Amino acid sequence: MRLLTHNMLSSNIKGVANGFPLRIEVEKVVEKKVDLNADFLRNIFPKIEWKAFAEAARTLGYAELPEDADSSFLDSDDFLDKFHHALLELHLEEGALICPETGRRFPVNKGIPNMLLHEDEV
Amino acid sequence: MREVHINGASSLYTNVSDEEYEIPRSVSVTENVGKPSLNEQSTPEIEKKDVHSVYDAIAPHFSSTWFAKWPKVATFLSSLASGSLVLDAGCGNRKYLGLNPDCFFIGCDISAPLIKICVDRGHGVLVADAVNLPYRNSFGDAAISVAVLHHLSTETRRRKAIEELVRVVKKGGLVLITVWAVEQEDRSLVAKWTPLTEKYAEEWIGPGSPHVRSLSSLPLQSIPESEGNGSGEHVKHCKGTSMENMYEIINGSATFKHEENTKNQQEYFVPWHLPYHCAEVSGASASALANELAMKDDKKGAVVYNRYYHVFSEGELERLVYGMGNVIIVDWAYDKSNWCIIEVAALASQMGFV
Repeated sequence: MRLLTHNMLSSNIKGVANGFPLRIEVEKVVEKKVDLNADFLRNIFPKIEWKAFAEAARTLGYAELPEDADSSFLDSDDFLDKFHHALLELHLEEGALICPETGRRFPVNKGIPNMLLHEDEV
Repeated sequence: MREVHINGASSLYTNVSDEEYEIPRSVSVTENVGKPSLNEQSTPEIEKKDVHSVYDAIAPHFSSTWFAKWPKVATFLSSLASGSLVLDAGCGNRKYLGLNPDCFFIGCDISAPLIKICVDRGHGVLVADAVNLPYRNSFGDAAISVAVLHHLSTETRRRKAIEELVRVVKKGGLVLITVWAVEQEDRSLVAKWTPLTEKYAEEWIGPGSPHVRSLSSLPLQSIPESEGNGSGEHVKHCKGTSMENMYEIINGSATFKHEENTKNQQEYFVPWHLPYHCAEVSGASASALANELAMKDDKKGAVVYNRYYHVFSEGELERLVYGMGNVIIVDWAYDKSNWCIIEVAALASQMGFV
């Protein structure tokens, strides 16, 4: 699971007021290189909740992102590299995502989160 | 695993061979049909048994060449701006190779075995329920729902799934939906489907089913639409099947009698043949056979699974969308036995969405 996906995911358990961001429990992180696409990064940037993203990157062991960022940062190649790396090249292979309100664990196995709810959670 | 090559069949998922065969029994679901929950997000038994379990069992055998059969979807995706984020709800084992390389896809499906197959180097996948997407609002640039809604067994759930697609794309974002049509190009294919019997429908929908009421007493104004207040929700759910009855009124049929009006039949089991050499004899298929989820067809050398479908009649998809109020339909089409619609999400502010 990439941090791009993590930044979109929210706990949808019944009764949860704000299920974002999910906390990350790390068991295994891998890095997989992909080509940088600046158009994509510029398009995605406004969607990203930056604080949650930077925090998640730190949890995965990457602390190079600035605490805050605005769109002017996108002019910097160095920033784009770091943004790209954290967004698309870090993968949580094994671990879990934790609902911030209920503590419910959503497992991540082989990079795939399972966000299905049980009957009593819908 | 052997690939399934489909020769111009109008439905996507078809038998391994084109030989004639018959489903020897008519299906009425009597077991495992409890009182339907009033909560649209609870998964009905028929979907667990005749959709989820089936796809879980046939996952490795499922064709991955879907995009060649869906020119409208390919066109839609090619039209998106470079760098678009596309959310695919009910993605199956879709591999995004060969589609718009400038888009990034995040796909989810309720079937973990199917998702495991489509883990792709370039895109994101997860296991989730299309009726309750675990996504923040307005994150995607576009969303697609390809051959998914017809597996949802009530109108309320189908509408909820569309609302979810709209919720998760940005204002002005595009949503593409395709579903199987009642009006199939290849009628001989429909003959191989098993219509659900009225006995099933009554037991499934529960007491007070509109089937037992005279259709002339159902006023057209009672189609529940748009504003979903609390009491309205209950009415919507219980009247799920009355929607089909409404169409029968509109289409001019006087009474809903299954045997006489098969052209209005929209609920089916559609077979999937899993060849013996593909079926895990000691795994999913063995237990499926034991639990009567599937049957053996020795003549075909295959395990036969049935998948539940609610096929859509002309205008039905549009009606679901019109009722939502904050989307407009940009395009709709009938293509290769599928109804297809493209809508623009949330031009106004998104009201009522968490």
